[in-house]
Amino acid sequence: MFDPLFRWLESTAFSVWMRESDSLFAFPGILAAHTIGLGLLAGLSGALALRLLGVAKGIPPEAFRRFVPLMWIGLWMNLLTGIALLVGYPTKALTNPVFYLKLGLIATGLVILRAIFRRTGSGQAAMGITKVLAAALLIAWIATITTGRLLAYTYTRLSVDSVRR
Amino acid sequence: MIPFQVELESALRSFTQVAALMRTNWGWPIAESIHFVGLTLLFGSIAAWDLRLVGLAKHVPIAAFHRLIPFAILGFTINAGSGSFFLMTEPDQYVYNPAFQLKMLCVVLAGINVGLFYLTMFRRVNRLGPGVQGPILARFNGLVSLVLWITVIICGRMITFYRPARCRPGQVLGLLADCIVR
Repeated sequence: MFDPLFRWLESTAFSVWMRESDSLFAFPGILAAHTIGLGLLAGLSGALALRLLGVAKGIPPEAFRRFVPLMWIGLWMNLLTGIALLVGYPTKALTNPVFYLKLGLIATGLVILRAIFRRTGSGQAAMGITKVLAAALLIAWIATITTGRLLAYTYTRLSVDSVRR
Repeated sequence: MIPFQVELESALRSFTQVAALMRTNWGWPIAESIHFVGLTLLFGSIAAWDLRLVGLAKHVPIAAFHRLIPFAILGFTINAGSGSFFLMTEPDQYVYNPAFQLKMLCVVLAGINVGLFYLTMFRRVNRLGPGVQGPILARFNGLVSLVLWITVIICGRMITFYRPARCRPGQVLGLLADCIVR
């Protein structure tokens, strides 16, 4: 149904560059940046989640606010590199249900992270709920990472005119 | 150096049961997912620690952040384990791969960097109270660690794009062969 859209996207200069350029800054570089963004956002917020679950109690949870700019950098890096990867292979991603699952998991993770920061900001933290949120955040990120990896194995169409697998 | 690589490759190839497990339908994708979760755990905890060393969140004593180190070690262990599974399955794709060689070099350098930290300044730095900036060498050590681990991630991603080709006859090989010798 969306094939005309996929065909048009795949014919754009940027999409062709993503797929066919020999430059390390094309697909390989953008993929590497996507992984660094993962490390910054999921890694640093994961460390916060571990702290809320009882690790390294000497660190006040508010201290992790100093890392928020880096988490934002990670989020923006991955939003932009994610869009670039999507424009490179729109059919591959958008015809794969796992891709939508990944997007849903990212949204879930971000909502949970926001809720965590709302609770850790105002001094007194409702520890029970915060711990549940921290555990949920770790699960959401692990699931996001897993679905992300599985995208390479679960797609049925690589590009609009390629044969179904 | 080249016989070393040839021997390493054949030694890795002897773990046939691991390779068989990895070649099942979901073996490789599951190992990759675990490797990426380990990456996130390692990078997240080591980055928080390094950033504190560099000077962020200095109202918190460095010793408090040191409690995150066991999780960095856990992440490293997960990745050394899952990573070795890739090597045992497709050894020639790694042993002769320049991206993998550089990745391992950076892992070793990161190890030396952290070793120097513990040998020369850990005791002093870990006693510092809140609000105290670490000595300049400690800040530099944290920065070096950050740069090295980011390089490790980049090189890891580049492995796919530097798959080694077969060496041409008579090709002059560098210290580490980056083409498949056989």
